[in-house]
Amino acid sequence: MKNVADTAIVVSDVDEPASRAVTPSGRLLRGFRRPEAMTGSIVILFFVLVVLTGPLFLHYSPEAQSAASLAPPGARHFLGTDELGRDLLSRVIYGIRVDLIVGLIAVPVGGVIGIAIGLFTSTNSVADTVVQRSFDIVLAFTGMVLGLTIAALIGGGLFTVLLTVAIVNVPLFGRLVRTTVRTEMGKDYVTAARAIALPTRTILSRHILPNAIDPLLVQAGLSLSNAVFLEGAMSFIGLGVKPPDPSLGSVLRDSINFMTVSPLYAIAPMVVISLLVVAFNLISDGLNKTLLNA
Amino acid sequence: MFAYIRRRALSALIILLVASVLIFGILRLAPGDPAVAIAGPDATAPVIKAIRQSLGLDQNLAVQYWTWLSGLFTGNLHHSYVFGSSVAALLGQALSNTLELALGALICAVVIAVAIGVPAGVSRRPGSARTANLIDSVLYAVPPYVTGVLFVLVFSVALHLFPASGSGPGPWKSSASLHALILPAVCLSLPTAAIVGRFLGSSLRKTSEADFVRTARAKGISEARLVWRHILPNSLPPVLTILGLQIGQLLSGAIIVETVFAWPGLGQLLVNSVTESDYLTTQDILMFAVLVFVIIQLLTDIVNNVFDANRGKRNL
Repeated sequence: MKNVADTAIVVSDVDEPASRAVTPSGRLLRGFRRPEAMTGSIVILFFVLVVLTGPLFLHYSPEAQSAASLAPPGARHFLGTDELGRDLLSRVIYGIRVDLIVGLIAVPVGGVIGIAIGLFTSTNSVADTVVQRSFDIVLAFTGMVLGLTIAALIGGGLFTVLLTVAIVNVPLFGRLVRTTVRTEMGKDYVTAARAIALPTRTILSRHILPNAIDPLLVQAGLSLSNAVFLEGAMSFIGLGVKPPDPSLGSVLRDSINFMTVSPLYAIAPMVVISLLVVAFNLISDGLNKTLLNA
Repeated sequence: MFAYIRRRALSALIILLVASVLIFGILRLAPGDPAVAIAGPDATAPVIKAIRQSLGLDQNLAVQYWTWLSGLFTGNLHHSYVFGSSVAALLGQALSNTLELALGALICAVVIAVAIGVPAGVSRRPGSARTANLIDSVLYAVPPYVTGVLFVLVFSVALHLFPASGSGPGPWKSSASLHALILPAVCLSLPTAAIVGRFLGSSLRKTSEADFVRTARAKGISEARLVWRHILPNSLPPVLTILGLQIGQLLSGAIIVETVFAWPGLGQLLVNSVTESDYLTTQDILMFAVLVFVIIQLLTDIVNNVFDANRGKRNL
């Protein structure tokens, strides 16, 4: 399980809102202009584009079998075919789609739940203790062990992966928000807001939460990278996306048996998974350098 | 200090207790009766009942939970019908294989981290830190199942240097088993090596700016001696803490690496017991995995705290 602390990011004292020279969106844009983040974004945009336009240029459905098993790359099959004669290009592209779906659904769902829990329990000491200990318990399972626990309960499948990724992200986002609340609570603008009798709920969500945006965005990049990692891992060990539906992890696992015959079978999913994971990480890295260490 | 250790140990104990209830409860909620699964489709009711009895599934949940929990401590675990062996024996063998793999990976991680971190930390060429950063990012991010398959493709299939899978006979007993250990251990070590390497680099950079380094340089000490005898030892404490934290991640990564290389360790046993719906074995291994992780985290926290306390004293 990857979190912000892993990559040596110390969530530095977040600036007072008034001291910001640039608007938040301007800062974000500057973050994306860093070479790391730029490279990462271009790679991800390319994959999104490929997934969206895939149906226009793919001649074969990812599940359509044919007699041409383990065919080498050629005009008909750009990357060749797998052992069942299925077109590898379309399997890989649909595999990317699964990863993007997992990342873009499960990470926001888990993140929002984590943010809400972290934000609204952090001011009540009993609730805070209970929630933080619960977060400890979730973290004690680590991503893969949690995934296997859920798979033991409801069996493998795409839903298992979605659930795992969502649950893993709840404590990661929850902790970040809590840290922000802790540092911001004593500041003058909060005291001022209290003095004019703003309800705590409003102070938390309208005035304190915006200060947590920066670390949360950095974590989002890491979490997306981790979502791709977990989806691949679960499918690789056979508990993720169910066959015959394609997933990069299961394509990679199936390729192991045919490495001598057709090495490209293994290389295609390897390259794509690595690019996805590294690209999300690079975005997170770039944002981290501009937003948190500026 | 002791108050801190006591508090952390207590909270670790609570986490473990809650986790044990969760694991026990979750697997009881899972659809299907393990006894029916073991007995097979043609089993008669008395046979199923006998199996239920032998597994203790006919007792009430509180008794089952207590038997299970005390069994975990005394090593008195049940018999796995799926694997045809006692779970204690299965766990013991798998654990020794996983520890072998993790230890190998830890050694590789330290070697690789030094190889990346030391040049990045002490070199004053402008590009070196950036290069190390890039290598770090890639090693950290690329999942072990990708590097694993890549290693098999390159070193086993193309170059025939290492076996593609399987633990050799008897750990540490023959050169063949050591030979089989190299690929999975390196593969498992890479993300850890990346993180430790990055910390080592930044810690070395910080130490290099210290006054004693300038003094040593002024006295004309050789650069190599300065780095290995003076800068490196003084940069290690924070790096060791990170290394400790990473041991938990190593065990988690082992689940994947063991699948890639068919390494018969805990991870593979866990994956197999989940795929075979052997709930009783699954619950033992899950509990064990959580136990190991919580203990490692506890130890790291305590060590961290000791370091912090010492640093505080020195600064005064």
